[in-house]
Amino acid sequence: MPAKLVIQDLTHHYPDEYTGESVHALEKINLKVEEGELVTVVGPSGCGKSTLLNILAGLLPYREGLVTVDGVKIEGPGSDRGVVFQEHAILPWRSVSKNIGHGLELRGAPVEERKQKVAAFIKLVGLEGFEDKYPHELSGGMKQRCAVARTLCADPVVMLMDEPFAAVDAQTRITLQEELNRIAIATKKTIIFITHAVDEAAFLGDRCFVFSARPGRLKAIVDINIAREKRIWSEMNVDKEFLSSRDEILRLVREEVNVAIEE
Amino acid sequence: MLLSRNNLNRFLAFWRHFSGANAIHLVLVIFGILLVWTLISHALENPDRYLPSPIAVALSSFDMVYEGLLPSYFGDTIGRLIVGSIFGLALGIPFGLILGINRTVADMFYPMMNFFQSISGIAIFPIVVVWFGNSDKTIFIVILYTSFFPIAFTVLSGVREIPMKYIHAVRTLGGSRFQIIRDVLLPGSLPHIATGSRLSIGFAWRAVIAGEMLAGREGLGWMIFTAQDVDRTSEVILGMLLIGLSWIILDHYLLRPFEADTIERWGLVQR
Repeated sequence: MPAKLVIQDLTHHYPDEYTGESVHALEKINLKVEEGELVTVVGPSGCGKSTLLNILAGLLPYREGLVTVDGVKIEGPGSDRGVVFQEHAILPWRSVSKNIGHGLELRGAPVEERKQKVAAFIKLVGLEGFEDKYPHELSGGMKQRCAVARTLCADPVVMLMDEPFAAVDAQTRITLQEELNRIAIATKKTIIFITHAVDEAAFLGDRCFVFSARPGRLKAIVDINIAREKRIWSEMNVDKEFLSSRDEILRLVREEVNVAIEE
Repeated sequence: MLLSRNNLNRFLAFWRHFSGANAIHLVLVIFGILLVWTLISHALENPDRYLPSPIAVALSSFDMVYEGLLPSYFGDTIGRLIVGSIFGLALGIPFGLILGINRTVADMFYPMMNFFQSISGIAIFPIVVVWFGNSDKTIFIVILYTSFFPIAFTVLSGVREIPMKYIHAVRTLGGSRFQIIRDVLLPGSLPHIATGSRLSIGFAWRAVIAGEMLAGREGLGWMIFTAQDVDRTSEVILGMLLIGLSWIILDHYLLRPFEADTIERWGLVQR
């Protein structure tokens, strides 16, 4: 079976917002993501992680290389790729259930279907009782749960996540990580998760793509062979496989951070 | 709207407010002004011409209410304000939205808008009088013109201030351009529409008073202008008081609640 998402020779330059100079963000990225896989992308700041995500989301046009989902070239945003943004980008003027059902509403799904699916995803992310609340009435963690549910409810082929838990407090973050793991088991979604946190990358990823400092290259791929069902923090903190994968990723990332500092 | 439950609560809160320290301060200030006003008035040789006392002003208001003049002037002025500013908002809101949504259109019109914005309603008055004479039409056009720019500019900047992340989010959910306008740009700019409307109606209120003076149409503005001609200074002051008080009531019970409800419900302000 061919891979779900394929990136071939993706190179990207963009003009710097202030100086206008060309920034070399990505250099010859080649990678494949299989169906149902959760991969994490980790690297030092400025390694082009966000550029990559924006290209995958279709928000940033690219010229060199080829990116396909199910064999179809990505050209612009589409509901086959759902995005969970770094800052909760749920709409403040829509209630929780209206936000979650938005994708279905946009494609004109029947009200009955919408109701059912919204209820199911509200349950999945544990937002029962908050259906009619507005985003400003939710905590940071709940907002991100709502954002994840909104993306999943639109039933994308691939879910892209751009440092989605970076803005919440540490306690909430580990809960959200465990919940995402549970959701990955329940939905078998193909997920690309971008982060700068090594722990998170090791905890969530079936595989972890480590990127180099600018220009971003795929430096290494670390396999993390741990069953999803086993992935809870209390166990991972003492799990040999987890700790060695995490240390490996940490070592690779630190090499790059040092490179970035020396430059 | 004026009798909604929200307004009733607001009204009660307003009165409860009166038992607090703020209210005492307010009453003291008003009382102080009245006192100074009365003292100055009594010190003058000809107070009826220069500064009639508060009591004289109050008496003249009883006279005018009795004669039915005051309610009729008041109604005329409010009527003009409503009609003129409804047209101003009805044109200004879509115009601001279009400019906010489409950069090409904005670049085309913005310099002209900025140009006309600098010419106040009073400054266009003479040419409008030439075209339409001393008529209600003239006043409406001046109100419309005056209320158009604040709302158009506020809505324009409102649309532009909507964070890109919301637009990106809806695009990646599969939203079309039209759906983005309907689900993001319109609701996202509603708080600015509310703020801009309040601003525009405030400007329109000043324009209608000035317009009545210049066009010579009956109303509050006309009342204070003509009262001066016949030396009825108490009516001049009465008119000024009414203009200020009407605005406070309009603003407090209609415009501010509308603005606050829109903004607060969506939690768009940090408090």
